[in-house]
Amino acid sequence: MASPQMRVRSEQQPAERERKAGLRLLNAERSEEIFPLLLEEIIALGHKAAFVARVDFETSSITPVASLNYSRGFLQKQRSTLFAMENPVIRILHTFHPEIVPGKARSGDGGLYVHPMVYRNRNACWEAERSNAGTCLAVANFHCKQRLNLPDQVCGTCDMRAYAAVVCVELKPNAKPAEVAQLGALVELANRYLSRIFKVEHYYNRMTDMETTIGQMRTVLESMADPVILTDAQHRVITQNKAAERFFKLPDEVSEGRVRAVELNNLLFSAALSSMAVAGVDSSRDMTLVDAIEGEEVLFEAVSAPSYGPDGRRTGMVTVMRDVTELRRADEELRQNYELLTAAEEVVRQDRDRLNLIIENVGDPIVVCDKDAKIVLLDPLAAELFGDEKAERTAIHMRNQAKLDAYIAAFTYSFSDRESAPLHLFNPGSEAEVEYDARSGKIYDERGMVAYTVSVLRDLSAVRRLEQLKMERRMLEMEKFAVAGRMAGTIAHEVNNPMEAIKNCIFLLQDSIHDDATPVYQILKTETERVARIVRQMLGLYRNTEQVGNVDINSVVEDTLMLFARQLDRSGVRVERELGDLPPVVGSADQIRQVLSNLVVNAKDSMAQGGKLRMRTRVAKNGIRDIITITIGDTGCGIPPNMLDTMFEPFVTTKGERGTGLGLWIVKGIIENHGGKLRVRSQVDHGTVFRIELPLVQ
Amino acid sequence: MSERKPHILVVDDEPNVLVTYRLILQQQGYTVSAAITSEEARNILQQDGVDLLLCDLSLEKQQSGFDVIQFGRNRSPGLHCVLLTGYASVEANERAEQENIPVLFKPIDIQQLLQVIADFLRKTDESRQAQHGH
Repeated sequence: MASPQMRVRSEQQPAERERKAGLRLLNAERSEEIFPLLLEEIIALGHKAAFVARVDFETSSITPVASLNYSRGFLQKQRSTLFAMENPVIRILHTFHPEIVPGKARSGDGGLYVHPMVYRNRNACWEAERSNAGTCLAVANFHCKQRLNLPDQVCGTCDMRAYAAVVCVELKPNAKPAEVAQLGALVELANRYLSRIFKVEHYYNRMTDMETTIGQMRTVLESMADPVILTDAQHRVITQNKAAERFFKLPDEVSEGRVRAVELNNLLFSAALSSMAVAGVDSSRDMTLVDAIEGEEVLFEAVSAPSYGPDGRRTGMVTVMRDVTELRRADEELRQNYELLTAAEEVVRQDRDRLNLIIENVGDPIVVCDKDAKIVLLDPLAAELFGDEKAERTAIHMRNQAKLDAYIAAFTYSFSDRESAPLHLFNPGSEAEVEYDARSGKIYDERGMVAYTVSVLRDLSAVRRLEQLKMERRMLEMEKFAVAGRMAGTIAHEVNNPMEAIKNCIFLLQDSIHDDATPVYQILKTETERVARIVRQMLGLYRNTEQVGNVDINSVVEDTLMLFARQLDRSGVRVERELGDLPPVVGSADQIRQVLSNLVVNAKDSMAQGGKLRMRTRVAKNGIRDIITITIGDTGCGIPPNMLDTMFEPFVTTKGERGTGLGLWIVKGIIENHGGKLRVRSQVDHGTVFRIELPLVQ
Repeated sequence: MSERKPHILVVDDEPNVLVTYRLILQQQGYTVSAAITSEEARNILQQDGVDLLLCDLSLEKQQSGFDVIQFGRNRSPGLHCVLLTGYASVEANERAEQENIPVLFKPIDIQQLLQVIADFLRKTDESRQAQHGH
């Protein structure tokens, strides 16, 4: 604007000049154009030279920024700081009022006119007026209350940083006061224009800054994956990010489904907003929206916060929505798991209660120990034996505990999972020794290590008493059998001698019997022989009741088979033997031989047409006890069913005159004497199997 | 072989049994002495000529057939003896086995008895002949 043509001067009237100068200044568009125009107008008034120095509040320095008719060297010297109060220019600047520094006494020197230019105005700016803040820097400076340093030169309302400069004019010689006043008015006019432009430029800068900030915020908003929506007081969407548009903005390709989805979403959203707005400051709420693009239902947690204007009034709401579909699903899963866990815990608790009930009612002491053989659980009965923390422990308790510890430790480190072992403890009451059967099992942890051992102690006193009783009864039976045998033996012996005489007589008479008497004589002979056999059998029974010791059953079997080998062979009987590995049996070898002989002879007799005799021995289990079984099987005629019940009674025979009917009775008696059992299975025309069970006594 | 009939001494405390044995053996052609007590038996054994002693185990008043056999064997070491018994305890059995005395259990099968006697007498005969041969 400051073109050379415009500097062409012409002699004009002062008022005309003033008006033109004002118009020129008014034409300035930018703040930096003001100073050169002002200087030109000052020189045009006929003054010698002028310059403007500007305050830099950052550095508190003052630097000439424009000048006319001054040498560079002079201007260099005019650099100063705000603190250089000895400099008359600086001093005047601080006063905010123009002043003339008198020149040297030489003629023609009109002095230096110094005029501070500070951002000031008589009236507050419109912003300060609107906000009712009441503090406008322009007004404050006008009343010259502010000091000229940076903190004081920032407006409290609009945040604008003020400017400060000083215009120095070398007055023409002999300048009249009216001319000085004209100069002052010009500078003030320039300052007023400068203030206005400066203010406008401030707003422009602020707007630019704001646009940058808005752009930044926009970027932040868009970069958020969660939908963010800004709504006004009427819940109308002001702005939303892309994530929100997915749900609330109609897409370019419109389809009916999508439109409906978006409409529904908006409806839901504004309903939620209304209720949240009522709820107050920060509220959140769950809502299910439909993804307009994918068509999926998505569960959101919407958090809304009201937004306020500078005047504190509510301007709308900011809503941030978080996709909690996964979260809620996980939450639901967690809740279900928790319920399952609670249910499982309940089951476990019931189990434990039930188990406790069982343990309390077992009636035997139960001890649970940990892997270090330390007692962790005792039932009341066990507590009586080993004592517990509540009651005082006696010496008996200590002894019992020591015995238990030794047993449990041995079991814990053994390789067996379960064990049953005798344990002798003391009754805390009577101090008598009591035999227990300790049955123990191991509980393993997930690594397969022993975690606990459980031991149930069974009081064997009663069992032992019963066993004693059984033993006594058996002894009594054996005694009775022995007495019977002895009696039979005595009777047989007494019968023996007369019978011997009778038998001898019959022999002597054999050649002198009349033919008529022969049948009678034959009857006499056979019946006598029969009596002789019975007597012999009874004597045999008694003869062998002694001598009890370890018997090798297999060798007795071999002996017996050898004894009858020829007879069996002659009868066409094949012998098959299957003899197992047997420990010795306590008993009488003679008696067992008698048993086997009897059974082998019976078998042979049942196989008149020949057949097969099968003898087998082996160790078997009868419940928990080891037993030895001897089976004698034949393929003979068998035993009629009606005889099975009575076959072991005395004087029952199938052999007619050849048998005594005592054989099986004696066999059964002997086996029972040995604590064994005799069983028979038979089928007519197919054969008979006798099975002898003998107990093994350790 | 001498023409002399073999001489058998039968000892038994039951008179009827004793008589019947004597009759049977006499019927078989033997010379038979019968003693009803151990005392009588000893008296007969005092004399020479008994070839075979058949002695019951239990004799009168707790007397044992073993003692009679012992006596007989002391008197003539080569004497053949057979113990007869209807009442064989294990002890008796074992003692008989130890002293090498054959035992026959009553009731005795007469055929078996006669067989045993015949076997013994044949042995006695053979040993006697062997002695004569020297």
